[in-house]
Amino acid sequence: MLRKMKVMMVTDSLQVGGAEQVAVDIANSLDRDTHQVYFCATRTDGLLRSSLKSDVEIMVLERSATWDLLKLLAFGKYVRSEGIDVLHSHGRGTMRFIALCKALGIIQAQHVFHDHFGRLHLDRSAGPGMKVPLHHGVDAYIGVESRLCRWAIDTVGLPEAKVSLVRSGVDLERFSTAPAINLRDEFDLGEGNLVLLMVANFRPQKDHPTLFRAIAELAPAQQESIRLVVCGSTTADPAYFQGCMAMLERLKIDHLVRTIGVRNDAPSLMAGADAGVFSSKNESGPLVILEYKASRLPVVATETGEIAHAVKDEGVGILTEPRDYLALADGLAALLNMTAEERAAMGERGRQLVIEEFEQQVVVRQVEAIYDHLLGLSSQSSDSGKSNLANG
Amino acid sequence: MTTEQATTPRTRYPRAQCEVSVALCTLNGSQWIEELLQSIAAQELLPDEIVIQDDCSEDDTVELIEKFADQAPFAIRLEVNQFRLGSTANFATALARCHGRFIALADQDDVWYPIKLRRLIDELELDPTVTMVFSDADLIGPDGQDLGQRLWDARLIGRTLRKRAVVPEELFARRALTTGCTMAVRRRAVAASLPFPEALENEAAPMRHDRWLSLVAASVGTVRALPESLLGFRVHPDQETGVLVGAQLTHALGRAASAVFIAPVGQSNESHLARANQLEAAAERANEMGDFEEALTLEAIAAHHRSRVQTSGSVLDRLRSIAEGVRVGAYGWDRLGMVAVAGDTVRSVRPGRGAQSEPAVHSAPALQGEPAPENQIEGS
Repeated sequence: MLRKMKVMMVTDSLQVGGAEQVAVDIANSLDRDTHQVYFCATRTDGLLRSSLKSDVEIMVLERSATWDLLKLLAFGKYVRSEGIDVLHSHGRGTMRFIALCKALGIIQAQHVFHDHFGRLHLDRSAGPGMKVPLHHGVDAYIGVESRLCRWAIDTVGLPEAKVSLVRSGVDLERFSTAPAINLRDEFDLGEGNLVLLMVANFRPQKDHPTLFRAIAELAPAQQESIRLVVCGSTTADPAYFQGCMAMLERLKIDHLVRTIGVRNDAPSLMAGADAGVFSSKNESGPLVILEYKASRLPVVATETGEIAHAVKDEGVGILTEPRDYLALADGLAALLNMTAEERAAMGERGRQLVIEEFEQQVVVRQVEAIYDHLLGLSSQSSDSGKSNLANG
Repeated sequence: MTTEQATTPRTRYPRAQCEVSVALCTLNGSQWIEELLQSIAAQELLPDEIVIQDDCSEDDTVELIEKFADQAPFAIRLEVNQFRLGSTANFATALARCHGRFIALADQDDVWYPIKLRRLIDELELDPTVTMVFSDADLIGPDGQDLGQRLWDARLIGRTLRKRAVVPEELFARRALTTGCTMAVRRRAVAASLPFPEALENEAAPMRHDRWLSLVAASVGTVRALPESLLGFRVHPDQETGVLVGAQLTHALGRAASAVFIAPVGQSNESHLARANQLEAAAERANEMGDFEEALTLEAIAAHHRSRVQTSGSVLDRLRSIAEGVRVGAYGWDRLGMVAVAGDTVRSVRPGRGAQSEPAVHSAPALQGEPAPENQIEGS
């Protein structure tokens, strides 16, 4: 009997974030009959540790710098001693770390890089610091959106055979079994209001101010009929967070908003909300839209990223142009004007769409096919990924 | 000190009512205006409207526009000012009247290539975070002949712009890099820029409408530079804003460089204070839109301008302050930054010298302020 393929997910940290959640979801959903799963956070531990299945071997490297030689050696030693076959990195810093390990001959495992880069609109360049590790330290490139895949081929110059588009998926089980939290009681929101939930760390990319300004644009009666709960790290960028809080006061809507910090029970929060909102200015995913839909929430969000583009014509949410607070205000007003039945129907359509197109098992089979191809276990590459890329 | 208080809401800029507006300011432009309007009418992508603000022309510019309006394939919305506003305020007025989701700026004496609007608008459509796109241009003579030179090169900014797809607010804070007639702006960036703050019109260091728009657009979004030539930019003696070529440029550069070293301290101080006020006004707009990081960047550059104001302290203190500015990169690391360091150093050591040569300085474009004509060599 053949031994199981040993796969290690590698991220910067186990703190809550889109890329980290994707890594955790893949780690949890790889086929256990054929895979043994490891997870390495090269810098810090975090709340997502508790989301990993109990059979996942976890290590936290606590490297202090990008090129922390001692940790590099310790990592290599562990990978060799465990006989890891595939290292699956998430995030560009982590990719460089592993590429360096490969370049130094510390490890020989196949390296799959999963690119979630969300600032391609600002930085389409690919200097030597990006090209060299991608060419010489990465065996397969996965982009979560077609723009990234095109960048990898056209700008970086990777051969098409190395590049696959794999959209993020969502583990429906997490959302089917999560008990609902009564947000009105938990956060003292009062009865009768529509509770909107935004799950996004306080980082500039998430563009909370556009949502705040949109709420401020609503008619006073509409404003008073909603409460917004914002779940996400408030310490990731303290200056940004403080700016957001000052803005809430300036707009005189601070009484409508609760910031609850980072949580590891997002599915339960979503189960207790009436609608999901998301105002990011630029995303490659964004995974949270799928999570809202998996939770049967009607959604008002900015149209950014592969997922938003993929679902925009499906009638499962109201999508508006990023950074346009007037358009987002119109979207919120449209949501408020819907009946409860209409909102529920929108949520149900969203859930159905996730089942059909974004279920985690669909995604993980694509990833497994890439592993198999790298290790010569399959003659075919990730055909689904390739065809998606061609269509994208 | 800022020119506006965050708690004072600005007048609401109305929502877009059409796709593409062109904002055109005119003043005694009868010689060129027909050619410009015809070139706009020949665009592959036609605008929905041209909003024209005439600044009390004394020739037949208005009549020519009205004649064109009769057969124009789009709306012409002409307004004639009751008294002369000047270029910057006139553009502010025109921009405030535009209805478009995207607004392209036009100068009365240029010739647009047919692809210009489509190329700029496509780039804005491609990425909703892009708030402004601007291009290069070919320099043409009064009779329309190609002068064989590009606008960016003539303004000595070609190298800076060609190596960057995205131009950050920090660069616009340090230097004027855009020319209005080459740009198209997303409505929300125009909304954030209006009304123009009074600080722009400070005589010590005026900031023109195009630099202000660029500064705000980069602070509340992304500004892209397209290294393509999309229009003919006419160089002629009557232009209010333009570029210098050949010997004129060499001479002006020499005068500007010497002005850095011999400018009277009082004049230099006024320039720095004016620039600080303008940057703080832009930071205020960025803050208002939730672009806190960009606001902090602008505030830091504004603070550096204030720190360069030489009011008191020993020579050693002033030199120490300059050294600290260099250490933290406050001057920037390009050639203009280095010239500014040298100029500040000279003035620190000999603060009174420039006062004796004041008349000579007043006729020279200054690296510390905005020269006329055009701001082609204006610096930090």
